[in-house]
Amino acid sequence: MEFLSRAQVVTAACAILLALLVLDLVRRRRLSEEYSLLWVVSTVVVAVLGFSTPLLKAITHALGILYEASTVFFFGLAFATAMLLFLSVKLSRLGLENLTLTRELAFLRHEIESLRAERPTSDGENA
Amino acid sequence: MAVRDVLVIVPALNEEESLPALLDEVRRVAPWAGLLVVDDGSLDRTSEVVRGRGVPVLRHAVNLGVGAALQTGFRYAIERGFSIGVQLDADGQHDPGDLEALVTPVREGRCDVAIGSRYVTRTRYRTPVTRRLGMLLFSGVVRLALGQRITDTTSGYRAYGRRVMEVCQHDFPRDFPDAPLLIALGRRGFRFLEVPVQMREREAGRSFYTLGKSLYYPYKNMLASLMALLRAPTDEERRS
Repeated sequence: MEFLSRAQVVTAACAILLALLVLDLVRRRRLSEEYSLLWVVSTVVVAVLGFSTPLLKAITHALGILYEASTVFFFGLAFATAMLLFLSVKLSRLGLENLTLTRELAFLRHEIESLRAERPTSDGENA
Repeated sequence: MAVRDVLVIVPALNEEESLPALLDEVRRVAPWAGLLVVDDGSLDRTSEVVRGRGVPVLRHAVNLGVGAALQTGFRYAIERGFSIGVQLDADGQHDPGDLEALVTPVREGRCDVAIGSRYVTRTRYRTPVTRRLGMLLFSGVVRLALGQRITDTTSGYRAYGRRVMEVCQHDFPRDFPDAPLLIALGRRGFRFLEVPVQMREREAGRSFYTLGKSLYYPYKNMLASLMALLRAPTDEERRS
């Protein structure tokens, strides 16, 4: 069995720490299960690559990458990109939901003001 | 024009200074039209000023963009049975004296969208060179996409027929309802007609089009134009 390099150990340790942080955020309901999935998958993949030298070498060779460390960075960047794209899609949807809610609120406020104007003193309220 | 079938929709953002004169003018020259102001999250007294004049106002709690404000106006128009909606800018650039000329072709069924154009005849309106270039570009894009020449693709002074408003309920650009909107509507078979109008200098307040938006504008409109060509109608549009 080949010995792990210091870089591999640091990478794997960071990935495990991040995974623990993500799980703790889910436990404390600061992060939803839905959003945690990509984070957990990415940290597990990076940790496995960090600890398993033969697997890292095989993937590095298969992808035509010169250094093992670059493979770890490649996967890290790929997950970061996927996460950013996922968040952009979510933000776009949130924007649309925000628009719908704001419009509903505008109509409801208008309805309330119209009703108040029609019944100025029926139950003691001011117009 | 006995029946009020036309709703003048005024999207407004921080226009407390311009609106009183504009609303009075619309009532004077077009007493046959209904009026609605959509306050798009103003930080000044826009809503109060409008209410004080007895004009209905729909207030967005946050700023959503001029397109979204207009879409809110379309929904109001549809719910209250108006058959034509006219967008009139709150800053006083659009001359309410042109309202009838803009509404007439839609009412007579000669088109579905009447576009008030600054370039059909000579007006006092001065267009910055960069904006003029943008208009030439997007006029070309619309011509390529639809085979129809529209000289003033960025004019916000437009009259929309009811069917168009119904379609726009489900899909409408939030920020710049320009070339991509015309392409999307043209692809659905709606007809356009350009009507010569006068454009005036801004009375007060600030334009929706800030520097940041002017840099984003060409990118967004080019991409949105391409998407308008590629997109199929949504399920809601098919049902409406």
